[in-house]
Amino acid sequence: MESHPEPLICGYNVHREADRKAMLEALGLTSIAELFSAIPQEVRLGRELRLPAPHNEWALGRHLRQLAGRNASTRTHLSFLGGGVYEHHIPAVVDSLTSSEALLTAYTPYQPELSQGLLQILFEYQRMLSLLTGLRVVNSSLYDGATAMAEAAWMACAATGRRRVLASSRIWSEWKAVLELYMRGRGVEVAYVAADPVSGRFDLRSLKESFCRPAATFLLQTPNSLGILEEIPAAAALCRQHEALLNVSCYPMMLALLKPPGELGADIVTCEGQPLGLPLSAGGPSLGVLACTKRLREFMPGRLVGEVRDIHGKPALALIMQQREQQVSREKATSNICSNQAHQAMRAAIYLAALGERGFREVAAQCAAKARYFHEKLLAIAGVEPAATGPFFNEFALRLPCPVQVFLERMLERRVFAGWEVDGNLLVAVTEVRARAELDEAAAMFAETIGALRQ
Amino acid sequence: MKQTIFDISRPGVSGAGLSDPDFGELDPSQWFDAASLRTEPIGLPEVSEVELVRHYTALGHRAYGVDDGTYPLGSCTMKYNPKRHEPLANLSGFAHAHPRQPESTLSGLWELFFHLAEHFAELTGMDHFTLQPAAGAHGELTGLMLVRAWFESRGMKRDVVLIQDSAHGTNPASASMAGYRCKMIRTTPEGWTDLDALEAVLDDSVAAVMLTNPSTFGLFEKNIREIAERVHANGSLLVYDGANMNSLMGIVRPGDMGFDVLQLNTHKTFSTPHLSGGPGSGPCGVKAFLEPFLPIPVIRRDARGYFPDEDRPQSIGRMKSFYGHVSVLIRAYCYILTSGPRGLRTVSENAVLNANYVQARLSPCLPPVFGGRCMHECLLSTAELQVSAFDFAKRLIDYGVHPPTLVGAGCVYFPGHLRDAMLIEPTETETRESLDRMIEKFLRVAREALEDPDLVRTAPHTREVGKILPPGSRGPERAHEQKRPASEPPTGTAAAGAESPPAAIGR
Ligand SMILES: Cc1ncc(COP(=O)(O)O)c(C=O)c1O
Repeated sequence: MESHPEPLICGYNVHREADRKAMLEALGLTSIAELFSAIPQEVRLGRELRLPAPHNEWALGRHLRQLAGRNASTRTHLSFLGGGVYEHHIPAVVDSLTSSEALLTAYTPYQPELSQGLLQILFEYQRMLSLLTGLRVVNSSLYDGATAMAEAAWMACAATGRRRVLASSRIWSEWKAVLELYMRGRGVEVAYVAADPVSGRFDLRSLKESFCRPAATFLLQTPNSLGILEEIPAAAALCRQHEALLNVSCYPMMLALLKPPGELGADIVTCEGQPLGLPLSAGGPSLGVLACTKRLREFMPGRLVGEVRDIHGKPALALIMQQREQQVSREKATSNICSNQAHQAMRAAIYLAALGERGFREVAAQCAAKARYFHEKLLAIAGVEPAATGPFFNEFALRLPCPVQVFLERMLERRVFAGWEVDGNLLVAVTEVRARAELDEAAAMFAETIGALRQ
Repeated sequence: MKQTIFDISRPGVSGAGLSDPDFGELDPSQWFDAASLRTEPIGLPEVSEVELVRHYTALGHRAYGVDDGTYPLGSCTMKYNPKRHEPLANLSGFAHAHPRQPESTLSGLWELFFHLAEHFAELTGMDHFTLQPAAGAHGELTGLMLVRAWFESRGMKRDVVLIQDSAHGTNPASASMAGYRCKMIRTTPEGWTDLDALEAVLDDSVAAVMLTNPSTFGLFEKNIREIAERVHANGSLLVYDGANMNSLMGIVRPGDMGFDVLQLNTHKTFSTPHLSGGPGSGPCGVKAFLEPFLPIPVIRRDARGYFPDEDRPQSIGRMKSFYGHVSVLIRAYCYILTSGPRGLRTVSENAVLNANYVQARLSPCLPPVFGGRCMHECLLSTAELQVSAFDFAKRLIDYGVHPPTLVGAGCVYFPGHLRDAMLIEPTETETRESLDRMIEKFLRVAREALEDPDLVRTAPHTREVGKILPPGSRGPERAHEQKRPASEPPTGTAAAGAESPPAAIGR
């Protein structure tokens, strides 16, 4: 390995050639190559990497802006997309506060004496999510809503000793795929519970039948993949009867207005936390929320911030109950998670604090109100019908009198993301960011396009 | 704990302007039946924007990041994160894109993913990559699920994964999640994988052998070719934990060493910030024979352009919803493009140079556990100190240095007699001057340990809270909020000046 002059263009390396020489000398060496003498010749690369030549900052910026410019987005198109992630307004103050350098460049608070501020934000996050979900223990983040659901399914297996889980068939299809993969790894059977074709809710009879063999848990998503709010108490009662845990995955916005699932009998609640102040970012990084009862916390995956005392007896915050985690228990850990979504959890905490009690309820109420306004307008279009009769929150499914994919393509030509196809239905999400004028205009476009396709 | 945001709540204010006059006052009871509505307030705090900003700005100051100073946390690669990546990671065409948009409207994203995967493949000597995994551990799990799918596709049942006893905790945890039993392979007194111990357990139940190279001891496994041959001759696959790739770029590639599957940790090698613990990203690379099993979607290119391919009948399915951690991956892409091939090699050279420099200069009081040269991190023995490694590390905090990795502080695990060792990874972004300052502080604490061990044992003295003992020895832990009276006076933060000696010396 010959030494080479560093191109000045690379701003990330700090040593000048003279520095390297001096440091090598201090080691009694004459070349960098000697540092790598442990590596056998026959496995070495022996050529330069075939990678693009170094870009300066403006060339890099130009290239990235070009790539970004090839994407459409919710800023270039009018969007009614949902399906687990939603276009909510993010107050500028959230971005501003979370780009504090220490919070960007710190790592997991392994050294609590250096990290009380960071631990406190996570602690506040845990408390806010505990209030929202109605369960006492909240960890400080998993990867996303889908992996949180899968981890929660395993928690129930570990707690009950059973290796079979029941899941609503109206879970987002991508999440089902994640759940199935995680459960395949753990050797757990997944059985699906049918939905009632009229109400769109899970079918109580099907759930009863599914309990013919013992199951660790029933996994229920609400609103479900048709946007229908599920009946949590009914599921809770049946789960209790069969000594199974109720696992509810929900849209965090609905928790502003509706009773927390924890109060209605859920033992574990998970959420996709993206709606709480996270940019859409084409689906990631997002935030996996996981809350559970106190009884279940030893089975909980991930970091947990709690109160401890320093050697002088003064209260302090630290990562607690680490015996659950991989760094202590290795193959017996509740999960393998190490790096998590701490920064996203901080965003969620700051978002909720920025809106506050009434602000958060106002946003949620606008989502529901605007969705109803739009729903009514769309139902006025000839041939459009609700796909199910159950109550919805801010996302609803419609049966169209024309092929959904063709309709979506036509709407795309008009710069509208009109929704998402679920089982031949059109799933439409409306959030607080839509103005009445936009909804009126969009409803007219829906009517025209559907009308044209119907002929 | 200082006042929480709940303690400063003043009902009736909001830090965000939200009302929409077109919809006016809204009454949820007209939409939902009474039984399903909340009857009590949620209990969220209410503060004005300025109060919010002051509260979280103060908390942000009570954290310690790479921007504050050296962060030699072994195995975590706490290198500097270039600022130029931040605005690019948040460009509107990425940040505001919805993952359910028609695929034709995201061609810039597919193109970026396609090229980034190609660059990772070139860097590692692998054939294909998925960028879906959310973190290193998630990438490990992905890799092991691929191994499993491959054996199943051949109608073979193998249920054991062999792992180094020094492996990171995520390795055995990932193996369990993929349905494997773990067996540990011993390390020799010199720190290498014990080939005889490996041979003894390598039978036809072994699906894979999982190695970190350089290991979490900072040593390059010099017998890697021989290990690869034996593992493959046994019909097993060789899996690489790529968390330590920072020492090898442009020098040697895991694919050329014989590895079949690996994961990278972009938040380490590719300088995407650690963000207080995440999000990171853990792209998973494979040799061609494992490609059919990759999670969906796989980003491909054909005559029409770049697109996400979901039509993959042999795929294991999905590791998470959607495509991967886009804003994190953009930063990794920027890092590769800015550095170029030589820049990346220099990164690895300098990372190894810095670690050896620190090891050599600290050896009089903290001798290397295994002697000899190290790769990008060095494992030092604290046996000659008058205080424990834990006490030593805590005193460093008073000098403005983030402690190195110890068992129980950082996720690394050192077996048996190494439990008191200290893993230092300076990274390449520390100048010689910065390393010298850090080394001086280590030496100073070593002197203090001789002259005034009590001072060291009771450190840190300059932070807002005193020493917090490791789990197991610190008494009760409480997961729940203990309300503190709102009247408690706020105390100022007591950060140690980076260069000046800590105030508490001599107490
Ligand atoms: C050697 C090693 N392997 C795996 C991991 C896990 O990576 P992550 O935290 O991204 O899940 C780490 C991170 O601490 C590591 O140091």
